[in-house]
Amino acid sequence: MSQLVLEAKNLSRTYKLAKGASGSGRALRHALIDMNMKINSGDRVGIVGESGSGKTTLVRLLLGLDTPTSGSVEFKGQALIAGKMPWLRKEVQIVFQDPRSSLDPRMKISEIIREPLVCLNIQEDHNARIDEVLDSVGLDRAMRDRYPHELSGGQRQRVAIARALAPRPTVLIADEPVSALDVLVRDQILELIAALTNSLGITLILVSHDLSVIARLCDRVIVMKDGVVVESGNTRQVFDAPAHEFTRALITAIPRLPESR
Amino acid sequence: MRKAMKGNVSLIAGSIMVSITFALLILSFIWTPYDPLAVNPEDSFAGVSMRHILGADKIGRDILSQIIVGSRVTLFVAALAVTVAMTLGVSAGILIAVASRRYQSPMIYAVNIALAFPAALLAIILAAVYGASTITAVTAIGLATAAAVAQVTRRTAHGILASDYVLAAHASGASTWRIIRKHVMPNLRASLLIQASAAVSVSVLAESSLSYLGLGTPPPAPSWGRMLAGSQQYLFVNPLLAIWPGIAIVIVVLGFNLVGDGVREVFDPTLRRSDS
Amino acid sequence: MSLLEVRDLTISFGSKKVVDCISFTLEKGARIGLIGESGSGKSMTSLAIMGLLPDTATISGSITFEGQELIGLSDREHSRLRGNRIGMVFQEPLTALNPLMRIGKQIAGPLMIHKGSSLKEGLKKALELCTKVGLPDPDRILRAYPHQLSGGQRQRIGLAIALACEPALLIADEPTTALDVTVQREVLNLINALVDKEGSSLIFVTHDLPVVSAMTENVAVMQLGKIVENASVASLFHEPAHEYSRRLISAARLAEDSFSGKGGQL
Repeated sequence: MSQLVLEAKNLSRTYKLAKGASGSGRALRHALIDMNMKINSGDRVGIVGESGSGKTTLVRLLLGLDTPTSGSVEFKGQALIAGKMPWLRKEVQIVFQDPRSSLDPRMKISEIIREPLVCLNIQEDHNARIDEVLDSVGLDRAMRDRYPHELSGGQRQRVAIARALAPRPTVLIADEPVSALDVLVRDQILELIAALTNSLGITLILVSHDLSVIARLCDRVIVMKDGVVVESGNTRQVFDAPAHEFTRALITAIPRLPESR
Repeated sequence: MRKAMKGNVSLIAGSIMVSITFALLILSFIWTPYDPLAVNPEDSFAGVSMRHILGADKIGRDILSQIIVGSRVTLFVAALAVTVAMTLGVSAGILIAVASRRYQSPMIYAVNIALAFPAALLAIILAAVYGASTITAVTAIGLATAAAVAQVTRRTAHGILASDYVLAAHASGASTWRIIRKHVMPNLRASLLIQASAAVSVSVLAESSLSYLGLGTPPPAPSWGRMLAGSQQYLFVNPLLAIWPGIAIVIVVLGFNLVGDGVREVFDPTLRRSDS
Repeated sequence: MSLLEVRDLTISFGSKKVVDCISFTLEKGARIGLIGESGSGKSMTSLAIMGLLPDTATISGSITFEGQELIGLSDREHSRLRGNRIGMVFQEPLTALNPLMRIGKQIAGPLMIHKGSSLKEGLKKALELCTKVGLPDPDRILRAYPHQLSGGQRQRIGLAIALACEPALLIADEPTTALDVTVQREVLNLINALVDKEGSSLIFVTHDLPVVSAMTENVAVMQLGKIVENASVASLFHEPAHEYSRRLISAARLAEDSFSGKGGQL
């Protein structure tokens, strides 16, 4: 019933570090090691890990913004190659962590949302589409002529979501979409992402270090550490009965409110 | 802009000095007290007086008139040289920033070599080959300044290209050319403005030095650098002769430098207050 | 006499008030959490106590520390307290450290300035401090530069510098926000243990309610420059008096419930 959309096959990415750090030629850093992953259409998958776990590298590879050292990423059976790949961009879009840096400060909101429509040559009335996505993320159409710095953090993240949704993607990657936002705004943005992906039938890949964020949005979770998947499975099962030591460490490290201690 | 000027001492002082320079330039086309080239032997070394407000030189030419007209050469050379420097420097800087890593380091080396090459040396070579002229001066100053512009542009563009919004543009399917046009250039603007005003200062100074060395615009067109050179042998007899063109040069150089500083203050987010 | 008494503190930039007439006191050895979102004025308050506000800020009211009025103090006089009687740990340990100076010298710095130690004595004390903040192989660490250390290690160094002169008051401004969750836990435990052991007072500035509840007994909730509620952690969670505190608590509780499976999925 559900179709395979994204697949990582033996995916590895190694970086060469700058010379001299260790003295013996160029050291290598294995950011991602032999990763396999299948994502079906309509899935809501969470990827959790700490800094250096390889999740950011994975996101770049899934977007075709980086070339794997070995292995491959396939979208509906078609391998990603480095380059522009407009066919992929129409299908897979991203929301970055910090909307303060992911929106060009010198562009108006309308220009920001228009960018994918123009670049991907979407055959549709661009102005109408911009109004439509602004409505769907709950922003006033009058925001069109504002600049990012005139908006609050939550509003800016809504703009970033609007930009990602504009070309009608089938897969949305959200890379730490709320960790740069104020606590009270986080819920609104999470609810928005959940509502939009649900109603539009968009496959969601949510990357976060925050287990509660993953728990709220995702059916499935992949736990990563040092470039390797240490555990994956149904979110509830993994969080209620973690099999791997690292997952347990993550769960116990979360600061708790007084009553629940 | 008015809001930006408020309390920005560098920008206000710089703007005043730059305005004085441009006033001189405009004045030179409308009115000068005397013909700046008119020789008048009985006024030889005339002091400061109502007749010659800033005095006169050895052959009795009016200093004020020479200063006024001298602004033409200085600003003309500076404007041309800066245009050359900015066009070449910015294109080269952006090209290097977007180039793949393999080509980057040889290009950076090339810029560093150009950077080590002083304008005066280049001017001497060009003058030896083609004869000293305004064009050789412009070329020498322009090329030497272009290297500095290229280096700063490359660094700034590199930072912009590494930003999240450029990554987002890639994810939106933007081409490299579009990223340069829509993201890099607009975000480079502040830095370019600062560099351009600094380049004007550098160029004015370089033009004066070249004229002083006789490598700039040839006589009889008056130029501040040559006035300095001419006054050198009378430095102890008549120091005012050297002081007037010196002041003119200082006002232009300082003016554009201050404007550059002021602009930096306006644009630099680290000098502004952030929330909470 | 209280260790620190903040009375009617107001900080503004031009016509914009970022801290609006706040008051609180801190007894010797006591702890208070300042919690709020961005723009609440919590960081500005801690910078005012440190005397590190930008020149463009206008400040009024009173801050008395160990009986001494801090507002109106010259930068020179204030710097005698900074790093000496008052220590501070910053959010971003990488930018708070000098990238070109070896760790040892950076820890020894405040000792040489305030206690008149020689470099040798300073480095000896730095070695002790490194052990105290739980850094393995302190000899190697003292010779390292900041970029050679991990985020958690750098924050431990930040703590060592702040505690070098045994301050009466430690201000920690979002000290674990830039760290991974597992490392955050370790650093929080460390701050807890050291503050207990040294008997210093603590001001803990954060946006994270669960974190602050584990660190301090009292919490001042800040919103738009004002303290809207100042209560003990227990009573804040039990019966929050202010609407804004209630919202913060319910957001934190929602996150916790969804994680433990009680909250359900969106």
